[in-house]
Amino acid sequence: MGGFLLRKAGAALIVVFLSSIVVFIGIRALPGDPAVALGAENRDPAVMAAIRQSYGLDKPLPVQYVKWISKALRGDLGLDARQLPVGHTIITRLPITLELAFLAILVGTVIGVLAGVIAAVRRGKPSDHAATATALVGLSVPHFWLGLMMIIAFAVDLHWLPASGYVSFRAHPIGNLEHLLMPALVLGTGLSAVLMRQTRSAMLNSLSADYVRTARAKGLSEGVVIGKHALRNSLITVTTVIGLQLGALISGAVITEQIFVIPGFGRLTLDAVNERDYTLLQGVVLVAAAGYVVVNLLVDVAYSLLNPRIRVSGAAER
Amino acid sequence: MKVSFRRIASLALVAACVAALAAAVAAARTTRSSADIKNGGTLTIGLAEEPDALDPTLARTFVGRIVFLAMCEKLYDLDSHLNIVPQLATALPQVSKDKLTYTIKVRSGVQFNDGTPFNAAAVKTTLERDLTLKGSVRASEISPISSVDAPNATTVVLHLKSPYSPLTAQLADRAGMILSPKALASGGTFAQNPVCVGPFMFKDRVAGDHITLVKSPYYYNKAKVHLASIVYRIMTDPSSRTQALRAGDIQVEDRIQSTDVPTLQKDSGVTVKKAVTIGYQGLTLNIGNKNGLLKPYANVGSDLAKSQYLRTAFDAALDRTTINRVVFGGLNQPDCYPIAPVSPWYEPTTKGLACDLHANVNLAKQLVKASGIANPSVNLMLGGTDPVTARLGQVIQSMENAVGIKVSVTPTQFTTALNKADAGTFDAFAVGWSGRVDPDGNIYGFVATPGTLNDSGFSSSKLDYILNGARKSLTIKSRTTLYRAAMQIIHRQRPLIYLYHPVNYYGVSKKVDGVQIYGDGLIRVNAAGYTK
Repeated sequence: MGGFLLRKAGAALIVVFLSSIVVFIGIRALPGDPAVALGAENRDPAVMAAIRQSYGLDKPLPVQYVKWISKALRGDLGLDARQLPVGHTIITRLPITLELAFLAILVGTVIGVLAGVIAAVRRGKPSDHAATATALVGLSVPHFWLGLMMIIAFAVDLHWLPASGYVSFRAHPIGNLEHLLMPALVLGTGLSAVLMRQTRSAMLNSLSADYVRTARAKGLSEGVVIGKHALRNSLITVTTVIGLQLGALISGAVITEQIFVIPGFGRLTLDAVNERDYTLLQGVVLVAAAGYVVVNLLVDVAYSLLNPRIRVSGAAER
Repeated sequence: MKVSFRRIASLALVAACVAALAAAVAAARTTRSSADIKNGGTLTIGLAEEPDALDPTLARTFVGRIVFLAMCEKLYDLDSHLNIVPQLATALPQVSKDKLTYTIKVRSGVQFNDGTPFNAAAVKTTLERDLTLKGSVRASEISPISSVDAPNATTVVLHLKSPYSPLTAQLADRAGMILSPKALASGGTFAQNPVCVGPFMFKDRVAGDHITLVKSPYYYNKAKVHLASIVYRIMTDPSSRTQALRAGDIQVEDRIQSTDVPTLQKDSGVTVKKAVTIGYQGLTLNIGNKNGLLKPYANVGSDLAKSQYLRTAFDAALDRTTINRVVFGGLNQPDCYPIAPVSPWYEPTTKGLACDLHANVNLAKQLVKASGIANPSVNLMLGGTDPVTARLGQVIQSMENAVGIKVSVTPTQFTTALNKADAGTFDAFAVGWSGRVDPDGNIYGFVATPGTLNDSGFSSSKLDYILNGARKSLTIKSRTTLYRAAMQIIHRQRPLIYLYHPVNYYGVSKKVDGVQIYGDGLIRVNAAGYTK
């Protein structure tokens, strides 16, 4: 297990390093002079020159990269266009998106796995068709539209929930859940649809396997057969899908955060792109790249825990 | 039954008192006073964009000025008619006969929001910082100042290199915001903890989310301040902003998008306020910007650049009233000039000047023919990719097509469009300007040869002479005459075609009173509060 983890961690570090180079070059490939964006209405040549100098844009690219990465390795991601520390901004906003993503996964998993199990067990029956149709709708409905409809219904008309914003769990636990309930439902809807289909497919495979027939022949109750044997094996696939979807969730959170005005990481990334705030954008994208790598690492570890054969052989068997 | 006279008189007196009381109550309901606003509470304002650095020396965004209004008073301010009035100064500047010395008297007994005394020395420190700090955006705005003196605690003397009439107007904006010398000397980044003189003081900021101000215990006029705090929330999506106002999450919405205005006007819990702004939106035509902004000008050789007739035809084909109705639902103010009707300069500068808000298709066709250019074509670059801007492009395209000018429309992301405009790689560019109180701010930068925003590449020695003269002249009458002459040249040559002045709409909850919006488009809440 130790060797397996070391190999995986080493590969992750290489990926993060290469990502930093891609991030750095990719940002500079964005159209538009950042000095013009940051100058807003003021395009005085002296102001433009000062902006370029403060961002180091007047230096050669390799010099810019070395200066940035050496500071980043010391934990200093620089000051953004608001003159606020980028590191502090990321630390403040990333947990909000992670909390939203976690709640969306919770919502999506509960709904998706439950619906998938029902659809598999009642294959061909009306409940199977209903679950499949609902999954299709969940995948098709745009988050933007769904979010606005929920705001109009639950916030504007009924005043049951706030329309926008965020309150930290520490400051007000109930307020925190009230603010995140609608966004989590919006974000979790798409995930539940994907998980429902994956769970159904995996369960159908498991339910037709020899070991399930043996379990039934031994006299075990249907609940034990489905919950303890078939579902457990199906969760391997579901876990992999959740891991892959987590990245998409965090990306998809951009729209949800925009609609519900949640000060999350996704919105921060979008704002940094629009404002051509190079310092902020570099820090944000680097952290996101590192996040993806860490998540994949965790999925590999979880995979090996669920399937002991992977720990020994170091390879996944399907 | 016999009723005594005394009894009748008593009843009559009581009835009269009741009637008088009822009338007084009715009058009080229609005439709100400060007594109707209760103290305390947090006002939440949904801003359309995020302010940049909260440092007046470095700040560049329009929306940042909204936040500064509540926490950073200036030497001068504007009244509701956009006249300049003293704020931290006690009177308008005394200007010497040679126009090179401005003497400003400032208030005494005032403190910054960290307890430091406000005085002439603090003004000197701030102005010198504005002039010398690397990256200062204010330096060009007050560049004619060569030195600043503070001979005593309440007198500031500005020495100028050359006469400069717009100076007082500049001191009524960010250049006139005075910063605490103690905060400046502390060595930290001022924008992370800004300290000025103001009814509210900075508390905290979360990037991209909110800025919180709290009532200042140091403010010299704190009896007039009702709110305990103000939270400015960054809400860039206009639909979300409107729904948040309707749901009560925010009490003031900054710049309602035009499609939401009718909905909010029907909402019984919201008042929609409007302000015709001092800005403008129009079309910049590339005439001489061949080598890039501020590089030597050369005619770009395009159809529009080659022919003044064609530029006039382009203008004559545009029906500003129809554009306003079709694209903006009739919500903006069509016009032909850069100075807005809300400005005190408007009437004297534009009265009698030609401005036809309707298209003159026959004239346009004649002018196209007179230009001698067969099948003229123009590429119109739009400064944005949103649906409203796209609609504007399509309407213009359609109008020009009717007179024989083929227009191709290129929606372009805003920053990229500005880059292209500066580089001179455009024919026509649909873009605007947020506006300045002094007419110099709406004209000089765009059409003067050394203008830093002269994307048109327009260069006229006569216009430069007139605009420089207007900068040096101090009397309103002489400046008005000069700006009239300037606008006649601009109207004839058309480096810019002005289409309309934006009218901004703001939503305010009916639970709140005292929110004021002037023509500069800034939300003023210093005396606002919740109604009793």
